[in-house]
Amino acid sequence: MAGFRPLTIRENGAAHWAIRLAFLAAVAAYAVYIPTKTATGTVGQFTDAFLLIIPAMALNLVLGYTGLVSLGHSAFFGIGAYTTAILVQDHGWGHGLTFPAAAAVAFVVGCVVALPALRIKGTYLALVTLAVGVLFPTLVRWKKLEWLTGGSSGFDGVRYDELPELPLLGELKGRDGRAVFMYWLGLLLVVIVFLVCRGIVRSRVGRALIAVRDNETAAAVMGVNLAATKTLVFGFSAATCALAGSLSTARTGVVTPETTYLTLLGSIVFLLVMVVGGPASLWGPILGGLLYMWIDTTTRESSASGEGFIGWLFGWADTSPATMILGVALIVLMFVAPYGLVGLLRRLGRRFVVVVPAPVVAMSASERPPVASAAERQPAATSGGEEP
Amino acid sequence: MDRFFQYLFDGLSVGAIYSLLALSIVVVFRGSGHLNFAQGEMAMFCAFVTWQLQDWGIPLWIATVLSMGFGFLMGAGSEYFLVRPVAKKSPYSVFVVTIALFLFLNSLASAIWGALPQEVMPSLFPDAPDDFLKLFGATWRYESIGVLVVALALMGLLFLLFSKTRFGLAMRGVASNPESSRLVGIRTSAILAASWGLAAALGALAGTLVAGRTGDVQPSLMFTFFVYAAAAATLGGLDSLVGAVISGLAIGVVENMAAGYAPGWIGQEMRLSVALLAIFVVLLSRPSGLFGSAKVERV
Repeated sequence: MAGFRPLTIRENGAAHWAIRLAFLAAVAAYAVYIPTKTATGTVGQFTDAFLLIIPAMALNLVLGYTGLVSLGHSAFFGIGAYTTAILVQDHGWGHGLTFPAAAAVAFVVGCVVALPALRIKGTYLALVTLAVGVLFPTLVRWKKLEWLTGGSSGFDGVRYDELPELPLLGELKGRDGRAVFMYWLGLLLVVIVFLVCRGIVRSRVGRALIAVRDNETAAAVMGVNLAATKTLVFGFSAATCALAGSLSTARTGVVTPETTYLTLLGSIVFLLVMVVGGPASLWGPILGGLLYMWIDTTTRESSASGEGFIGWLFGWADTSPATMILGVALIVLMFVAPYGLVGLLRRLGRRFVVVVPAPVVAMSASERPPVASAAERQPAATSGGEEP
Repeated sequence: MDRFFQYLFDGLSVGAIYSLLALSIVVVFRGSGHLNFAQGEMAMFCAFVTWQLQDWGIPLWIATVLSMGFGFLMGAGSEYFLVRPVAKKSPYSVFVVTIALFLFLNSLASAIWGALPQEVMPSLFPDAPDDFLKLFGATWRYESIGVLVVALALMGLLFLLFSKTRFGLAMRGVASNPESSRLVGIRTSAILAASWGLAAALGALAGTLVAGRTGDVQPSLMFTFFVYAAAAATLGGLDSLVGAVISGLAIGVVENMAAGYAPGWIGQEMRLSVALLAIFVVLLSRPSGLFGSAKVERV
């Protein structure tokens, strides 16, 4: 591509907005296409992805932006799942009301879990939160709490509510209708969480979070209240994560101590999704969740059928090679895209379109600030246009 | 008192295995500053290798040593080919790579050995029902004594290695200041790979000991052991070898006592939780662990 120059557009100029709107329109069109035109199985896979994306976005706020490692988010997911199950099954609540209730419970627990983070840092904090992640499944299985949690059998067949009549969605009946409804509910939660995260990150609070991550002492000196910031962001993240748990219960009606994402493995998967998508970027968890789900289902399907390249390559294996392939894929991905998918897309996008900040009027052209090339570490500054 | 000695001894014996695996976590952390999440799975894989070798007719002790050699190559290889290249690029990538290794090794082990009925693993020590010693009213099984002795002996060797040999000196140098070490002519690159190798070799022994204790090898063999060991390493201070050993033993004793003296409330299911809670409390008062060096940060 000798002589090819990337297109230079001005930040927030007409061209930039056009790209942004086109991107959003494409995403929206795809989001409508899935539940209306594809099979129920595919719709379910996307809902699965939403169940990963929401916790990953929650984790991104804590780890990506604030720098607090958490291996305990599976517990918050579990708190959401169990709160919904208990309230619906034992107390006769409607499903809808249990979502805010679950978030509230998780918020309180999250704030408590955050207390050690005020003193403990880095890998040590990883262990403390890991303890939370390991504790949760054993706690709900504990005999002394069986009256509340149902012990190791958990809840099976939590009551389904009648689906509300929504004119926009058309008639939703039976299993397929439920799947489509849950897809829309999941998507709605993803959009809300995304917008709230975006609001936080771009505000004064977001700058405080990043300051805490980059240098705690300096942040404190500049007037950031470390204790309040860390506690609240952790609590908020926990509450968000619990929403995904509630969705999981509302969708399947089953919660046990072994439910997916409720064990320590869940915490690890959330972290993977976040890092694979791109830490400290708003779109990262979304891309990560979709990619993870895609790799997961593709490898599972092709290794189950035993056909094609994967079937030939792993014909000797006793068990499904899906996890093995996932491991290899993750390693390859880290070599290709160490800053996640968002980092990779930004790098590629910059070959075609470069967004420069609008010039400040008082400056002459020679004094113009340099183009922010370190965009990979400062996502909020130049996001949007380069991503598609 | 009989029960006390019984719990103490059982705790020390299982704690010795935690210590071994915790040591391997610490050796890696001191060298490269990373937490290797695949440490337990490497140990599990090596336990399978030991099983395979002895199944082919190689005497168990020799098989164990060979498997430790295999572990060394696996550990050093993963550091050199997988971890190092990505570590330069981004801080999170090492986490993903070690988790990916975890998934890969676990799945590979089930793919190779999984579908068969669980492999029966002979113990390194006599483990017939009447192979025990009565002392202070407690039952001291030869097997448990053997595990304790081997683990402690290996730790002794490790300390000698670190304090008396040039290799150990180089390792300590790299741990405390990689750049200066390079300047005085230490081959940091080789030392780093070797410390991962050493860690995995320790893990191989731990894995074989665990498999011998439980009597079979399976892909989930080291999962809880890794959690305990990571807890022990953290409690000890992540960069302290002595800390890892003492915390490993202490965790073993505490969880055995808790489970033994309060069977109704704690029992078998909650013992891990008790150990973790205890660590949680300790870390609150000492954020860098019991023996860890507190880091001073510059603004």
